[in-house]
Amino acid sequence: MNAFRNKMLKALAAFAVSGLLINTAANAADPLKIGLLTPSPIADVGWSKALVDGVDAVKAKYGDDVEINVIENIQEGPDADRIMNKMVGDGNEFLVLGSFGFMNGGLKLAKRNAKRTFLHASGYKTAKNFSPFTAKYYEGAYLMGMAAAELTKTKKLGVVSAFAIPELISTINGFTLGARSIDPEITVDVIWINSWFDPAKAQDSAKALLAGGADILFSNAQDTPSVVTVGEEGGAYVFNLNGSMKAYAPTKYLGVVKTDWAPFFVASVDAHLAGNFEGQNQWLGMTDDVVVVEDWNSDISEDMMAKIEATQADIVSGAKHVYDGPLVNQAGETVIAAGERLEDGAILGMDWHVEGVNSPLPK
Amino acid sequence: MSTIEFFLAGTLSAATIFLLAALGELVAEKSGVLNLGVEGMMAVSAAVGFVVTYETGNHLLGFAIAGVSGVIVSLVFAVITISFLANQVASGLAVGILGLGLSALIGNNHESLTIASTNGIAIPFFSDLPLIGPVLFQQNIVVYLTFALALCIGFTFKHTRLGLAIRSTGENPHAAQALGFPVFLIRYCCVAFGGLLAGFAGAYASTIYTPLWADGMIAGRGWIAVALVVFGTWKTGRIAFGALLFGMVSLGELIAQSMGARIPSQLLSSLPYIVTIIVLAIISTNAARMRLHAPFSLGEVFDGSESR
Repeated sequence: MNAFRNKMLKALAAFAVSGLLINTAANAADPLKIGLLTPSPIADVGWSKALVDGVDAVKAKYGDDVEINVIENIQEGPDADRIMNKMVGDGNEFLVLGSFGFMNGGLKLAKRNAKRTFLHASGYKTAKNFSPFTAKYYEGAYLMGMAAAELTKTKKLGVVSAFAIPELISTINGFTLGARSIDPEITVDVIWINSWFDPAKAQDSAKALLAGGADILFSNAQDTPSVVTVGEEGGAYVFNLNGSMKAYAPTKYLGVVKTDWAPFFVASVDAHLAGNFEGQNQWLGMTDDVVVVEDWNSDISEDMMAKIEATQADIVSGAKHVYDGPLVNQAGETVIAAGERLEDGAILGMDWHVEGVNSPLPK
Repeated sequence: MSTIEFFLAGTLSAATIFLLAALGELVAEKSGVLNLGVEGMMAVSAAVGFVVTYETGNHLLGFAIAGVSGVIVSLVFAVITISFLANQVASGLAVGILGLGLSALIGNNHESLTIASTNGIAIPFFSDLPLIGPVLFQQNIVVYLTFALALCIGFTFKHTRLGLAIRSTGENPHAAQALGFPVFLIRYCCVAFGGLLAGFAGAYASTIYTPLWADGMIAGRGWIAVALVVFGTWKTGRIAFGALLFGMVSLGELIAQSMGARIPSQLLSSLPYIVTIIVLAIISTNAARMRLHAPFSLGEVFDGSESR
């Protein structure tokens, strides 16, 4: 990405009067304009970078037939609505809205522009040209939990987490279930920093967890390597979501639960061009090649790697589900009996922790 | 390191950011200039300090240039408000927002990179004492220098001619000028000194406390520094106490969570701000005491005339 151009675009967008530049239908010969709006600056790693990699894959497939416009670091709120309007006005036919808070503004825009296609990260509202997309992080986190269970000596795992929303809660629960499937004595401490973005606080939280006896760290939805670097310095294995941060923890990196949006973005652009795009809730996991685990630490034994790979194969084939019963909550009550499986809706709206998580869930 | 050691050592380290920036703001306010751009000055210097340290590997150089960049931003503010007599509140906010934008631009190519942190200095024997050792004798040198600086600034205001000149400029610039003090020069220097310390605070945040750069990483700490000056009723000792209190509250929140305390984390996260509001409310009930300590001409423009 040309950083300077992005800055200019952003400045232009901020000052443009919305609606001034409404384009009429583009000519067939023109390239398809694809717009991406990210909530944080595009760094070498992290959430926004994963989204950029996704649209880059579309570019790789279609070459000059598509034109990619990225506007980075847009705060959620009224400003974002104006910038989205501007992107539509500039003739972007296919928009990727990279954050939960772009939902209502994006949906309004989608209803006014029925021929354009919108993909929206992490949301839950749909329209016929508006698809929310979410990753099943808990599938990858379950496998990380298995690896963590083998490597922990204190049997205490620590999680630094952003906000207590279902997506992150279900990821922590998946991690806990994975660890306790190997060693039921393991417990998990969680610190909610109530911010998507405060590296100093994330780092202090990670140190507090280590001081409290945890020897494995999980950086849950932190876009900076703050927690990962603490792991390396403090001698604790550490993993994170979205993109590999192995470079920040060369010896103590447990692995990454990566999101690869490329297959989904490419398929959506295919559908848009073919004229048969259908807006629906896209909840994607290992089966869809969207959630990928890799960069495993070489300290994990071969036996354990074999177990992890077998479990992964079972999850992909559908033989196993992370939320297969019996599931017990923090209060010790059985939520789902053995032989049953938690419904999708219950995972998407999860507001409870499984047994083994020490920290109370903020309500 | 045990939890209690981490808590106390971390408190000192966290308090250093607040204290450095607040001391700078104190000096500027004592001369009668209210600079609300601390957050922006810190952000610019944090970005500059990080980029320099990342490219050269030299922490000292990073700190020095960060300080200089803080001075430059503060001088922009000083020219607008002292020479062109613009409203200090509006100008401070504008320069602060400008600084936040600038910092994003400066740090753009270094987003989310990290650097090696510097180790604390180890003092023989004392560092090895249980509890006291890690808390008091293994800190980064900047922590010691900051608390020493607080003492120096307190002494200067109380016992030196320079301190008297700054204070009289802040109380009544007309009288100070009549007495022969160079009011404009004093105010420029005080604002620049505030910029220097805000610059050091930013560099400390991005190269020592959290050795990485990420846009928005100052995350409101500059505003807390501004509040601390009022919180401490313009007295260095109370400001240092306030900085420690804030460091403690911000860390205590995380530790309470890791120990599984049954308190909603949202409430814990808002504790530093709740404490600020409560303390400000209590201090402000005694109007006479507020008037006694606040620089009398704080926030007023001074056009160089001899009487008001």
